[in-house]
Amino acid sequence: MSVDAVQQWLKRSVMELVLLVLCVLLAFHADGFFTLGNLLNVLRNVSMQGIIAFGMTMVIISGEIDLSVGSAVAFAGCLTAYLFEAGSAWGLGVAPALIMAILGALVIGAGIGALSGVIRVRFGVPTFITTLAWMTVLTGAAQLITGGFPLTPFPEGYNFLGGGYLLGVPFPAIIFLFVFIATHVLMGYTTFGRAIYAVGGNAEAARLSGIDVGRIKISVMAIVAVLAALAGIMQSAEIMSGSASTARGWELNVIAAVIIGGTSLMGGEGRIRGTLVGVVFLGILVNGMTLMNINEYWQHVVSGALILSAVLINRANNSD
Amino acid sequence: MTDYKLATRRLCKQYPGTTALADMSVGFAGGEVHALIGKNGAGKSTLVKMLAGSVQPTSGAILVDGVQVSLPTPAAAFRHGIAIVYQELSLIPSLTVTENILLGRLPQRGPFIDWPAAHARARAVLADMEIDIDVRARVGDLGVAKQQVVEIAKAMSTEPAALMLDEPTSALARHETGRLFTLIRRLAERGVAVIYISHRLQELHQIADRVTVLRDGHHIGTKAMPDTSAADIVHMMFGEVVQRERPADLCVGSACALRVQDLTRAGAFEAIDFTLHEGEILGLAGMLGAGRTELLRSIFGAESFDSGRIEVAGQALAAPTPMLMKKHGLAFTPENRKEEALVQRHSIRANMCLAGMGRMARGLFTSRALEQPHVDTQVERLRIKVSSTENPVAALSGGNQQKVVIGNWLNNQPRIMLFDEPTRGIDVQAKQQIFQVMWDLSRDGIASIFVSTELEELVEVCHRILIMQGGRIVAAVRPEDITADELYVRCMETPGVDHVS
Repeated sequence: MSVDAVQQWLKRSVMELVLLVLCVLLAFHADGFFTLGNLLNVLRNVSMQGIIAFGMTMVIISGEIDLSVGSAVAFAGCLTAYLFEAGSAWGLGVAPALIMAILGALVIGAGIGALSGVIRVRFGVPTFITTLAWMTVLTGAAQLITGGFPLTPFPEGYNFLGGGYLLGVPFPAIIFLFVFIATHVLMGYTTFGRAIYAVGGNAEAARLSGIDVGRIKISVMAIVAVLAALAGIMQSAEIMSGSASTARGWELNVIAAVIIGGTSLMGGEGRIRGTLVGVVFLGILVNGMTLMNINEYWQHVVSGALILSAVLINRANNSD
Repeated sequence: MTDYKLATRRLCKQYPGTTALADMSVGFAGGEVHALIGKNGAGKSTLVKMLAGSVQPTSGAILVDGVQVSLPTPAAAFRHGIAIVYQELSLIPSLTVTENILLGRLPQRGPFIDWPAAHARARAVLADMEIDIDVRARVGDLGVAKQQVVEIAKAMSTEPAALMLDEPTSALARHETGRLFTLIRRLAERGVAVIYISHRLQELHQIADRVTVLRDGHHIGTKAMPDTSAADIVHMMFGEVVQRERPADLCVGSACALRVQDLTRAGAFEAIDFTLHEGEILGLAGMLGAGRTELLRSIFGAESFDSGRIEVAGQALAAPTPMLMKKHGLAFTPENRKEEALVQRHSIRANMCLAGMGRMARGLFTSRALEQPHVDTQVERLRIKVSSTENPVAALSGGNQQKVVIGNWLNNQPRIMLFDEPTRGIDVQAKQQIFQVMWDLSRDGIASIFVSTELEELVEVCHRILIMQGGRIVAAVRPEDITADELYVRCMETPGVDHVS
């Protein structure tokens, strides 16, 4: 490998290296960090926000944003609980009621996302505004469904979706890796992914090249919404209830992970692999600081500062 | 050298690996219009950027009134009386003419802007140039020609000793160009050294007193314009030149590729009727605002139309969209390639796969390996100069960018190509290569519609030329029967287009 190639590689992998340095530091300074149990725990903790982050990466690359994912998580959890309760009341068995509830939450989630996309495409309302509105609407809707108290209708086994283990690996982590691979392939190796980059890079050029810009935007908004609903279902399984007050502020963590991963808020640029690094980086940071018994208030300050630094590193790296 | 308002002495600019400009010594005198010419990459823009203070020379000196100066920033150049008007207008459309002319220098009374004084100042600048434009008008509401004039007024309001104009006529129709030349003359008569950068050879005799030719970063020569023929200049620019004519073997098929009937869009074009045959290259001639671009965009479905009928290969298409027209074998290279045809930050490869990605894919899946052969084919066919197709397309010259746009569409195997100003702002060699592509396509039975403001190109390239005036087709001519000059006259016959002064 030539010096040039090494330099190129270093530039492309700078966040990976920062992550590695962070891991090494924590391995020496945080007791119990570098154990398989703890690392799997980190993966479990980041998995739900991580699933959404992959979808958010697609949305941001397409030149849009979704601010409603946190509320969508809470709403999907409550909706699943509500539908399960209703299904049971109609006399459906546990399994059919559960499947109906889960599918219902996913489909309604997709519909909400697609609707944001349609409003964007048809009426030109920026998704920043539409999803800001959804954020409030969905929080309110979740509270209406639950009447202000968590719904706890779920059967014992349901917990597996959020807290279970398969061959020693947390089930949410398996879903997380699955979504990573799926979105990675989608963005890197399909015409759909190519079109998303083109639309985000220059929507007019994409349109004049005969790309269906509207369909692309509606699709990515639906995809991130489905992933948020999926995370909401897993979240409700983890806490075994549908709660309107859960997942507050997730949208910011999710967007932070995407940005740390090097995706440009301008659209057209970014990688799913980068988001994987961003998600794991944030997870390890919180985990490490907790292990080191750093005061929670300080954790927020340090997280914020590190997010900004990461973005600055990415920016400096891309500008030359 | 002390007579010169602005001069360079042995100016050099080196970048790692290349010399952009070598040993450049030239002087620009007050009162002269000095043309600077050379093909893309000849070093023109490097010289201009050094004179404007945005690029620093590696060695050599810049002299203002015979005194050596250093221009570390554009502001420093500005203080030394060097003003520049760039090809891409730098006006703010939402502000008024006054605000644009006096941007950053609006007169104040206490903390407030002194509007009466500001408008008076702007009016004075325009009056001084003998131009009549409402200073309270929003710049965005003005036509391109007037915007160009405001841009020059903005530069002139600083009372520069030297004024550089970068391709000022590239967006103008011919009668607008005439007015601009009158204005430039007037400025020169005031003692300003005007440096005029252009690709348009035929303009130089009208406007320039002297011409400096650059080639491959070298100063080839500076000559007095009256003693120099166009052929001399072309020779200096290229060393050797091949001025081609349409090859004799091109023929038009009998099958109808595209039929447009009674197509109308209010305010843009009216009752357009024509037929395009297989292998035919059809020129659309006309002045700015004649409706050529609008017509082309409507045929491709980029914009809608009010009434009429479009048939592709015998099939009527009711509501064209770019997607639908692409499916029926149409391709369209828009006028503004930077904004509308290319994803500037993406790679050359990505930009060459926008239209044809579906064809290259295996089902829904695609990959670099599947795309690369298609990309390489076009790079070779169009002679695009690149070290790697993974480089961003933004780094290419205008001519190569245009070829990427064309390559993007050729990768979709079109039957009909719609070219809107494909030669704007690109060098003569790249133009010839694009003409060659049209001819090659014609040999394969692929039809083209070619819109160009450079009417002599239409005469050189096309089988048939439709003349548009005020949104209507007024005549069809064969290039064999008409000269470029006659074509200009035919296009201009209509009264009442945009007036500048």
